[in-house]
Amino acid sequence: MSSTPIPNAFDEEKPRDPYWYKRAVFYEVLIRGFADSNGDGTGDIKGLIDKLDYLQWLGVDCLWLLPLYESPLRDGGYDIADFMKILPEFGDLGDFVKLVDEAHKRGMRVIADLVMNHTSDAHPWFQASRHDPEGPFGDFYVWADSDTGYSDARVIFIDTETSNWTYDPVRGQHYWHRFFHHQPDLNYENPDVQDAMLEVLRFWLDLGIDGFRLDAVPYLFEEEGTNCENLPRTHEYLKRVRKEVDRIYPDRVLLAEANQWPTDVVEYFGDPVGGGDECHMAFHFPLMPRIFMAVRRESRYPISEILAQTPKIPEHCQWGIFLRNHDELTLEMVTDEERDYMYTEYAKDPRMRANVGIRRRLAPLLENDRNQIELFTALLLSLPGSPVLYYGDEIGMGDNIWLGDRDGVRTPMQWDPDRNAGFSDCDPGRLYLPVIMDPIYGYQGLNVEAQQRNNGSLLHWTRRMIEIRKRHPVFGLGEFAELNSSNPSVLAFVRELGDDRMLCVNNLSRFPQPVELDLRRFVGVSPVETMGGVPFPAIGELPYLLTLPGHGFYWFTLPPAITQEE
Amino acid sequence: MLDELLVAWIGHQRWFGGKGRPIDRLSVESDVELTPGLRHLIVAVWQEGSRDRYQILLGQRYDLPDRLEHAVIGQFHDWLLYDAVHDYELTGWLLDGMAGDEDRGDLRMRHTPGVTIDTSQRSLVLGAEQSNTSLVYGDAYICKLFRRLIPGINPELEVVAALAARNAPHIAQPYGWIECDLDGTPTTLAFMQRFLPNANDGWDLALASVRDLYNSAPGIDAAEAGGDFAAESRRLGAATARVHHELAEAFPTDVIETHEVKRMAEGFRRRLGRAVAEVPELREYVGALEAAYHLVEDHTVEVPVQRVHGDYHLGQVMRTPTDWVVLDFEGEPGQPLAERRALSSPLRDVAGMLRSFDYAARHLLAGHADAAALEPRADEWSRRNRAAFLEGYAEAGGVISADGVALLRAFELSKAVYEVVYEARNRPSWIGIPLAAFRQDAF
Repeated sequence: MSSTPIPNAFDEEKPRDPYWYKRAVFYEVLIRGFADSNGDGTGDIKGLIDKLDYLQWLGVDCLWLLPLYESPLRDGGYDIADFMKILPEFGDLGDFVKLVDEAHKRGMRVIADLVMNHTSDAHPWFQASRHDPEGPFGDFYVWADSDTGYSDARVIFIDTETSNWTYDPVRGQHYWHRFFHHQPDLNYENPDVQDAMLEVLRFWLDLGIDGFRLDAVPYLFEEEGTNCENLPRTHEYLKRVRKEVDRIYPDRVLLAEANQWPTDVVEYFGDPVGGGDECHMAFHFPLMPRIFMAVRRESRYPISEILAQTPKIPEHCQWGIFLRNHDELTLEMVTDEERDYMYTEYAKDPRMRANVGIRRRLAPLLENDRNQIELFTALLLSLPGSPVLYYGDEIGMGDNIWLGDRDGVRTPMQWDPDRNAGFSDCDPGRLYLPVIMDPIYGYQGLNVEAQQRNNGSLLHWTRRMIEIRKRHPVFGLGEFAELNSSNPSVLAFVRELGDDRMLCVNNLSRFPQPVELDLRRFVGVSPVETMGGVPFPAIGELPYLLTLPGHGFYWFTLPPAITQEE
Repeated sequence: MLDELLVAWIGHQRWFGGKGRPIDRLSVESDVELTPGLRHLIVAVWQEGSRDRYQILLGQRYDLPDRLEHAVIGQFHDWLLYDAVHDYELTGWLLDGMAGDEDRGDLRMRHTPGVTIDTSQRSLVLGAEQSNTSLVYGDAYICKLFRRLIPGINPELEVVAALAARNAPHIAQPYGWIECDLDGTPTTLAFMQRFLPNANDGWDLALASVRDLYNSAPGIDAAEAGGDFAAESRRLGAATARVHHELAEAFPTDVIETHEVKRMAEGFRRRLGRAVAEVPELREYVGALEAAYHLVEDHTVEVPVQRVHGDYHLGQVMRTPTDWVVLDFEGEPGQPLAERRALSSPLRDVAGMLRSFDYAARHLLAGHADAAALEPRADEWSRRNRAAFLEGYAEAGGVISADGVALLRAFELSKAVYEVVYEARNRPSWIGIPLAAFRQDAF
């Protein structure tokens, strides 16, 4: 693609894999909450660098950093006041470059959140725009004399905002914002804005970053008479971004956050001819709540249904899948879907509604039931897509529901039983959020150090599962085919990539279950269970019978058949 | 002799209807070679003066591979004869035959207009079937061979073909059929539909939900329990209404005049009288039942009738990954063909499904150590899911008028009376399941 040679931050001996993201295990890390190197009570980049060995040991391939830019922090850093500066409490650009280098030395990559759609109202561009309408930034935002334009666009944060327009007394005009009123939308009609944002991307890519999670991409352009989401010109601009990235930085990744139905999200992968020409990855939002619903209902249908409805994606694209992240699943996303399962199943189940928000971590959601945590993790690591782990879930960290909003799941990482869970040397009162101290999830008992010492811990188990996943590229690259299962509580599927074939059988019920699988395609094969390496009886013409303990699962490799029948 | 081999063999087949009675005589009425090594037989079996006819796919080989040993019928001259439904090397020919609209002897093989049959699929006999044999081809088709032959077009073929021609939802696409003339009447020998891969019947799904509720912590009600099934019941109700609508459009409809409705009530009473004579446990409910039947006589409007499913319960509906599909439009088993095709009130199907919900809720209680304590949970599950089913039915246009409510109740009670007799005869420990229908507050 590019004629310019690319400096390789990795092992010079190894060829680069342009599709690394299809096999990668991602790890979402909150810099603020991971490790504090300078004792100010807030995590920072240097602290994260100190913990890279741990992440490498765990098997993480790529870190996803939440926003780390200069910001008044009125929206968790998604209100960016300067795209080219690091938030001072996290460190500086030098720290960032070191983080990327150190990660690369360990074979890990780093991507970061970037908000393309809007800035903070504290951004100098906005200040210039409101004070000097005729100046170079006068047209950087969407200004109007009245607040009646684009009336078909919904208000997303209906709890706090009443309109997508806010009046600015300084300029004497209204400005457009799809999110909070302190986050004015950039005006992508203006070619200078388009160029300025490309400049931002190049700035970070030049520093060595491996890609971006592009926040709120569906909203870049507005058009009268539309809902102002997923507009063709938004896609056009993303194609331009992709072209620029491919031209100069060929193995970087763009991950779209488009909280939409999969059939709409596929648009963000771009043209399937050539393997996709917009974003390399996009999150699969509806899968997560359906995994929860399936286990709650003891029925595979919630999962089977969404996978059956998920369209094929271009060859070089990949879904990002997750059990927990800092984002909220919103139900308004699905109400348009007439046939939607969630609407009848989910919206009417008060417990599901309350639980699958952002306010709980995986372990407390599953009542700290180790079998369920393992089953969920096994599903995350085996369903089609690249898994994204949320920091702390690998040790089964708890949450603090008294902290309110999203902070309950953003408490400091629990490293050891010492002061502040080993997160910081500061006075406990200075911590950005208190560490978890309850009797079940408290850091005294539940921490990385203790679990590293205990071979039976969730941490070791998770590491082992990641290891198995990485031994089998089929999980990231292979075809997915659900198997006919005689038992509605059992979800069984085959992942297949040439000779690399995995059979995954999951019991979504809390009771032991038998299942008969039609495996005639694999007659003569003796499945081998991956955790223990035990060979199971050879597959014949008759349905293959397995029994699973409550919430149990198996991963089998399907080696080539040794003898063909007849 | 071939007859003798078949007599020795047929009596042990699961689908053989005359088990336990001696076979007086067996004769081959029709013997057609479909392809070398594969013969289609129709045999008549006389038992105690009555004659039944069965169809057999007969394979012949000089030697049998291990996988076919269980299907062997016997040695005949140099050949080993065997039940060829188990031989995927031969059953593929049925696909070829239907795809090519072939005729062999009296046999006519046909495919549904407009479909293409993929003839490369390999078959497997579906286990656990009672009266027929079904071949599943890959995960594409399921071909049902009717073993005991009754002259006439199979109602399922008739119904599904008509619905498919209307592009009706919630049915399994028909692909083809095989027929011949029996006693001068065109008679369905086999019927092939889309196989529903990765589907489960409603009964299994409902039981998973009931099991979950039984094991929920005290104080958790059915709505809150994890395995809640109500949303599925509602979707199933909606699917049922749509299928009824399509049946009414595809086939003739009629009405039952009000004076004839009174005769229906008499029929309910007559059945009740016979049942009480046989099962004394019913006696205490007679008054209430009579009262419910009496309400039907007050019907002031005609009752619309149409083609219906006829044997509608949770075991006849399959949940596929995306939708509910209704199967087995064969009418009430054991009834003469004319009756199975007769027009009836769609409320009869609704009543059948409501009874099925009640069975699902209670059937795990039979012999359960905590049956008494769990009874209220069963009541709750049944109430909740029956209500959801009816809601879904009404939402999708299913009509239950004010008079219809009384008729629906009467259908349901009459069905429960039938079930009581059935359980008393066959599974006495289950008799409590249908009896509970008479205790419910819905009275």
